Amino acid sequence: MLSEERRNETVALDGTASERLARPDIRSEFGLETMDMNMGPQHPAMHGLLRLILELDGETVMRCDPVMGYLHRSQEKIAENRMYPAVVPMTDRLDYFANIHNEHGYVLAVEDLLDAELPPRAEYIRVLMSELMRLASHIPSIGFLMLELGAFTPILYAFRERERIQNFLEAITGARMMFHYFRIGGVKADLPPGILEEISEYLDGLEGRFQTDTVDLVTGSEIYVARTKGVGRMTPEQALDIGVTGPPLRGTGVDFDIRRDYPYSVYNELDFNVVTDDAGDVAASYRVRIGEVWQSIRIIRQVIEKMPEGPVMADLGRRLRPKEGDGFGRVESPRGEYAVHVVSDGSDSAYRVHYRDPSFCSMQLLQEVVPGHYLPDIMPIMGMIDPVSGGWDK
Amino acid sequence: MAVSMPGGDVASRLSGYLDGLKNRHGLEEGEVEGNVVRVVVAPESVPQVLATAKAQLKVLHLSFITVVDWEGSFELTYELLDLRGGTVRVKTVIEGTEPVIGSVTSVYPTANWHEREAYDMFGVAFRGHPDLRRTYMWQDHFDHHPLLKSFDISTKRTFEGLR
Repeated sequence: MLSEERRNETVALDGTASERLARPDIRSEFGLETMDMNMGPQHPAMHGLLRLILELDGETVMRCDPVMGYLHRSQEKIAENRMYPAVVPMTDRLDYFANIHNEHGYVLAVEDLLDAELPPRAEYIRVLMSELMRLASHIPSIGFLMLELGAFTPILYAFRERERIQNFLEAITGARMMFHYFRIGGVKADLPPGILEEISEYLDGLEGRFQTDTVDLVTGSEIYVARTKGVGRMTPEQALDIGVTGPPLRGTGVDFDIRRDYPYSVYNELDFNVVTDDAGDVAASYRVRIGEVWQSIRIIRQVIEKMPEGPVMADLGRRLRPKEGDGFGRVESPRGEYAVHVVSDGSDSAYRVHYRDPSFCSMQLLQEVVPGHYLPDIMPIMGMIDPVSGGWDK
Repeated sequence: MAVSMPGGDVASRLSGYLDGLKNRHGLEEGEVEGNVVRVVVAPESVPQVLATAKAQLKVLHLSFITVVDWEGSFELTYELLDLRGGTVRVKTVIEGTEPVIGSVTSVYPTANWHEREAYDMFGVAFRGHPDLRRTYMWQDHFDHHPLLKSFDISTKRTFEGLR
């Protein structure tokens, strides 16, 4: 554990990026030039395929320009050419660390068009799945952040937990990654018998293990404090202007969570807190993620307690032909606001589907916040957004 | 917290948004549906309407911009959130097959990449955008906009100039 003075000493950077850039320009005085550098698309620490064009002054980044499209599959065009139910498995391939949330956003949008009324058990199962998925995304994202900073141990503990949660998801859905579990009008199948007791038992153990193996291990670690405190600092106004949502936005102090402010499913019947922090740096978004893990555990416990009996699918007919118009679905994915806009022309496939992916929007902060930081700070800042390649590239 | 969140109940806030927009701009349509203020405006006035929404009405978050190709006209949807349950949905229709519209990046900087994506996928030209490049497709040698309805998925595309 670091003492408070030591922790203050290890602050690598102070002030906002623009303040740092405003320091006296020594380059013109000494006739120095900047250097262009390519980072990626294949880079061991990159979250997928992303190329960053960097302009460096010594080790300080002057300009950062992300180049995307290496994993572009034109999901929106594919969605226009498939019937409504057949798009659900494609949304799994978007953000492959939040598959359940992708499915949820899409089915909400189509149900908005159909004015569908869902049985309560289906809604509770959806919330249960969403929160399990959030745990399976938040816990490894803390591990990834530490992996990029050079600490290998937390990712091993994180993946042990993700593995257990994936076992539950597999028991419920039949698949490990590409679930295709949500249907327009409900969910595919009822829960297997006894799974709620098993999840409840698992959560009892998870609380202790998460505290000792991740929170206690990471929070006081010198690697973590030196590389995250003050790095990637944003003001709340700046974060909103950039379009950041999710944990990095709440890390700046903006109290905004889709689950509470734009409630969907049965989140308005559940009791949970929106975790915020006011530092606005990488460390703050890490603390928000830690807090959200506890909140997710709390939500899952309530869902298990309140789980109603009954059917899990609404009867919407065999062939879905929604009325003409717009359908919107918006969910809080682990990375922020995930929204789907479906435009129907009355036929059995969508006229237009638009995905608002949180990774894509939050990644604009690479252009805005990274300049003024040192080159090695790019990776913690990426860890703050925790972007997923399938998400930003659609 | 430095950003002030809107208070009061959603219904009165939403009618306030609608009145605020109606008083300052000529709206083609404007109504409150549930928790959404839906307005339709002329394409020329989109930047001013969004500037009013941000500066006067304090709707701080631009969620996304959707473009729909209606084969002959383009419909753009700007989804704005006030972060407390209210939504302002600004729609506009651009006639013709070569759409041009003013950029809103100076109002909502997050529109930067949304507009780049719309340009990449539909060829919508945003006047005043600081850096209108493609996001996903190749920068050079690719002259198509894949989400247009005229872009048939079964047609083989070539990279002009490469081979």
